[in-house]
Amino acid sequence: MKDPAAIRKTLENVSTIPTLPIVIEKITRLLQNPQTSAEDIGKAITTDQALTSKVLKLVNSAFYGFPGRISTITHAVVILGFSTVKNVVLTASIFDAFSKRVSANTNFEMEKFWLHSIACGAAAQTLAKRIGHNAKEECFIAGLIHDIGKILMCNYLPAEFELVIQNRIKKNCLFFESERETLGITHQELGGIIAERWNLPEALQGAVKNHHYTVQDKEYSTVSGIVHASDILVRALDFGNGGDDKIPQMSEVVWNNLGFENIQMQQLLEDIESEVDKAAVFMQLV
Amino acid sequence: MHYYTNKCITYNILIQIVISMKRILVENITDKMVLAKEVCGTSGSVLLGKGTILTASMGHRLKNWGVLSVHVDGEEESPQLSGAAGVSPEEVRNALEAKFSRVIGNETMKKIFAAVYKFKIQHNSR
Repeated sequence: MKDPAAIRKTLENVSTIPTLPIVIEKITRLLQNPQTSAEDIGKAITTDQALTSKVLKLVNSAFYGFPGRISTITHAVVILGFSTVKNVVLTASIFDAFSKRVSANTNFEMEKFWLHSIACGAAAQTLAKRIGHNAKEECFIAGLIHDIGKILMCNYLPAEFELVIQNRIKKNCLFFESERETLGITHQELGGIIAERWNLPEALQGAVKNHHYTVQDKEYSTVSGIVHASDILVRALDFGNGGDDKIPQMSEVVWNNLGFENIQMQQLLEDIESEVDKAAVFMQLV
Repeated sequence: MHYYTNKCITYNILIQIVISMKRILVENITDKMVLAKEVCGTSGSVLLGKGTILTASMGHRLKNWGVLSVHVDGEEESPQLSGAAGVSPEEVRNALEAKFSRVIGNETMKKIFAAVYKFKIQHNSR
């Protein structure tokens, strides 16, 4: 097995890991000020033209409920609200940072990976809505980025990534089991490095670092629990592929805490499928 | 007379529409093909609009989204469309069993398996 601490250190020292655009920080600051107007947010975002066109494309999709009706960022803020627009900007920025990269590994299909990630986000948002969790948009982003550590490994630790994949194929096991066996560290910890560097909200960092619930006694986080369950459901529904063909064990803690016994599963699966369809627009950013 | 002329024009347009549109499997999409009909997902929402210029990679993407065929501009070459047949319940069960093979002994996972199986079977028969 490789030295997990050395792998972590190697990744931490990579200077070319993408950063999030300054506009994210600017919007976060603006949102803390009660005097901020929709125009202020609009002005801040439109300084980045490429980002603006992506944001407009997303807010005009069926996913946000106003297809083809939003003409400016200010208009988007008025209709969708500050928080939603901030989340859209964050989502578009994440795609900008990573999605254009072609997989250097022939055994890892990037497009299927993104489909799995987008579907997990859509499922997390649906599940959050179903259980009455109020941060459903945050759940979408959490689902979208939960496997970001795999992209990091694929791009910046190609030899280690290949080792994980070859072992996974040989053992026909889960991706994270193969990571633990060969590297002693998983995409959860590696993804955590970028989640911290990007200064993402705690809930998003938690979902990246602990969506497999490998440590059962960790403090319970609703968002990471929602992502854990969503990952399992979209795997079962065959939406994309995150790097393996198996289903991990659902944590009993998550199953009970999210109240799955009282959820009408057929309706939930219908809703997830419908939401994944609406999220198709995100595939156009890949 | 007017009625007859109008009807002829309508028929001509219809014939043109029929002969200028062909249905192809998504794996046969090539660059610069133009969508003759919008593509909808399984729940009916529009994935790509009519007139979209396609690329081969979009075909791959549509397949990932569960879309089997699309209508593109051009003449129909063959009325037969192969490969769009549904999956049998047995095939659904076998594929799911392979995915769940390591966890199927667990009671919670059995519930998830049963729900997804039922969903897929109902979905296939629609």
